[in-house]
Amino acid sequence: MTLYDKIMAIYPTLVFQDFDVKGSIQLQNDSDGKGDYIAKWNHPTLSRPTDAQLAEIE
Amino acid sequence: MASIITATTANGLVSSADNSGVLQLASGTGNLVTIPAVTGTAMVSGNMPAFSAFSASNQTLSNATTTLITLGTEEFDTNNNFSSSRFTPTVAGYYQINAGTLFASGNNMDYSQARLYKNGTGGTLLKISSYYSPAVAGKFSEQLNVISCIVSMNGTTDYLELYGFGSSTSTLTVVGGASFYTYMQGVLVRAA
Repeated sequence: MTLYDKIMAIYPTLVFQDFDVKGSIQLQNDSDGKGDYIAKWNHPTLSRPTDAQLAEIE
Repeated sequence: MASIITATTANGLVSSADNSGVLQLASGTGNLVTIPAVTGTAMVSGNMPAFSAFSASNQTLSNATTTLITLGTEEFDTNNNFSSSRFTPTVAGYYQINAGTLFASGNNMDYSQARLYKNGTGGTLLKISSYYSPAVAGKFSEQLNVISCIVSMNGTTDYLELYGFGSSTSTLTVVGGASFYTYMQGVLVRAA
């Protein structure tokens, strides 16, 4: 399950556009072997998920 | 009229002068070059960086995740300014940049983007090429995103990178393995 899938599972009200270039959330992968990560989280109402929340989703 | 310095085949270096304020250089009896009355750096092919690189193999992207495109194969890199999928020119000026990403998916790919960033995703997003088509279940699809632009670079710290972004219910792949699939190229067109 990708980081995107986990976030969508935690916050099913989010839509794809929230992650697009003008969206409030940016997921990123630097192709350095470290995987996907949250580069930006500026959503007006939903708080950034914690590592523990993300770890619970499988 | 002009003042002319000529490299001849019989008499070495020969010059003639007038009061035009125009300077020309000549080799033999032809190939006359007029030195422009501007301040700047004379560019010759040897100091004009040019590079071309492409993805060596397929790269899988996660949905909705801005991902650095790995450009692991260099076709040419005249000034050794391209490394680790990043172009960092050492000559300040304006660069023509071409880039393309070919996305492929087994089914249900509806969205893809190529993005050209200057100085990382925290820097400036210069250009986007987007492709949207409604997903069709079970249908293999490809989307080609092409960027062409002119970019100002400071010749020291500025760098360019190509990123991909997309959406699919199947595996989202950026196709590599040849120079015509996923690539980035650049050449200096004018010194600063």
